Amino acid sequence: MAANDGKSKLSFLPSGSTLHKISALLTLLLLILAFSFTSPAFLTVNNGLTVLLQTSVIGLLAIGMTMVIITGGIDLSVGSVLALAGVVAGLVIKAGVPVIPAMALGIMAGAACGFVNGLVITKMRITPFVATLGMMMIARGIALQLTGAAPISRLGEAFGTLGNGTFFRVVEMQDNGFPKVIFAGVPYPAVLLIIVAIIGAFLLQKRQIGRHIFSVGSNEEAARLSGVNVDRTKIWAYTASGALAGLSGMVLMSRLVTVQPNEGVMYELDAIAASVIGGASLMGGVGSISGSMIGSFIIGVLRNGLNMAGTSAFIQQIIIGIVVIGAVYIDQFRNKK
Amino acid sequence: MLDTASQNTPLIQMMDIDKQFGGVHAVQGVSVDLYPGEVVGVLGHNGAGKSCLMRMLSGAMTLSGGQINVNGTTVEFKSPQDAKKYGIETIYQTLALANHLDAAANLFLGRELKTRFGNLDEARMYAETKEALRQLNPNFKNLKDPVSKLSGGQRQVIAIARAIYFQAKVLVMDEPTAALGPSETAMVADLTIRLKNEGIGIFLISHDMHDVFDLCDRVIVMNKGRNVGAFAIGDVNKDDILSLIIKGTLPDDWTPRGQAA
Repeated sequence: MAANDGKSKLSFLPSGSTLHKISALLTLLLLILAFSFTSPAFLTVNNGLTVLLQTSVIGLLAIGMTMVIITGGIDLSVGSVLALAGVVAGLVIKAGVPVIPAMALGIMAGAACGFVNGLVITKMRITPFVATLGMMMIARGIALQLTGAAPISRLGEAFGTLGNGTFFRVVEMQDNGFPKVIFAGVPYPAVLLIIVAIIGAFLLQKRQIGRHIFSVGSNEEAARLSGVNVDRTKIWAYTASGALAGLSGMVLMSRLVTVQPNEGVMYELDAIAASVIGGASLMGGVGSISGSMIGSFIIGVLRNGLNMAGTSAFIQQIIIGIVVIGAVYIDQFRNKK
Repeated sequence: MLDTASQNTPLIQMMDIDKQFGGVHAVQGVSVDLYPGEVVGVLGHNGAGKSCLMRMLSGAMTLSGGQINVNGTTVEFKSPQDAKKYGIETIYQTLALANHLDAAANLFLGRELKTRFGNLDEARMYAETKEALRQLNPNFKNLKDPVSKLSGGQRQVIAIARAIYFQAKVLVMDEPTAALGPSETAMVADLTIRLKNEGIGIFLISHDMHDVFDLCDRVIVMNKGRNVGAFAIGDVNKDDILSLIIKGTLPDDWTPRGQAA
């Protein structure tokens, strides 16, 4: 309990959660510094943009995950829902629907999965862990069944725009006729992540739904007795998480310009790790979008930096696991005193 | 007490209330009413069903049987919001505070003030909370700390402030002084009398006989889910009430004390 007792919901206060955020931010800066020494190519504009691009999918998932975790729940289904949303979008594009409405349908499919999670948790009174574990298998199963486990490709150039497009790309034609990329441009997914993160933080801090999400996670019975519609608040959070899983599915599949029904396995764990590193408490009532964004980037920078330093994927997992445990341990330690 | 009690319809009539949990009969056929400007004590030992009875009035529990009238109209409370709509506010024994939120967020929880654009109006909520808490405890500071960091007394003050801020017509107080020191207990007693004089009807659950005899106009005593006695406070003394609480019956030689005096 000590882990989440001393936290305030207001980000501008010099409270435990702000301290946590500052220390997470310091960790992020230290990582960047360390990797700059191990690999000269790490601290370059282009690599920075690559990290942004790579982190956007986990970041989007972490925003929804944070909302769910603050209610005191957990959403294990986001990796599978991401795949199912991609499959839905891919199939309707193949059926002749234009890209934008197809992507909207994909996001709606994700939201529908989240909505079902919410209903199962609130109306059938199944614990979030079990309910979303079930949805994780169901959504993955549907995605594989619909596609016969085969990727859907040749979705057209327009499908790849969201994942591969950039703002402010500067390309110069050289004398020899080849183009030279001066500035790779800010990837669309990074801009999307920033916009969604701002909206998410705004909802959590400034709107009634955010206040209710915190209250439900802090003391569900108190929230109910105070007149908060607990069921509706939870359903809202899981639906948001599902919709964001759908959105990150669009970004990921668009980047590959292919729909992979087995994409996104274990992504939920990265999203949970990002939220927890960013200071969210699995006991509920504590967490912030800004913290989770820092958490996402810690994971993103770790992956990218370790890759550049030539560390194997297996070692990377070990390191990220240690970081998750360490982040929570330090948080507990600080809150005890 | 009788002059206010007889002149109009009761604020609250709870008639033949039943509550069952599976095989457990927590409340059986209890009837009680409450008039404006009166304090009715609800007594009984732990598990006698008094909190359960009051939770049904607060909308926190649904009825298994019976009927609740507010100002003569039959109502059905499906949630605490429904009860609040009729001006029934409750101070719960557990206080029902969200520990991670601050005083203002708790006071307005579920009834947040909003700006024109539908955003939370933090500034106004803080100002209102500051004023509401100041009336109850002039020393109340740390308004922006999460309530988990506050003392038991401060937490209790927030719970009380929340109940009276929204212009309650009926107040249910479930052991409101359990966590309080002597001066704060006196403050709650003063407050109870002030609210009563303003015409608010109050149900007071308490184990403190002192409070009961100081504040209540009438008492009902519950034993094993049944109402075993309803009296004007002048008709009973401490021993009578203890006998009712413990045995469920009055002492054998009992006659209304008020008539004897």
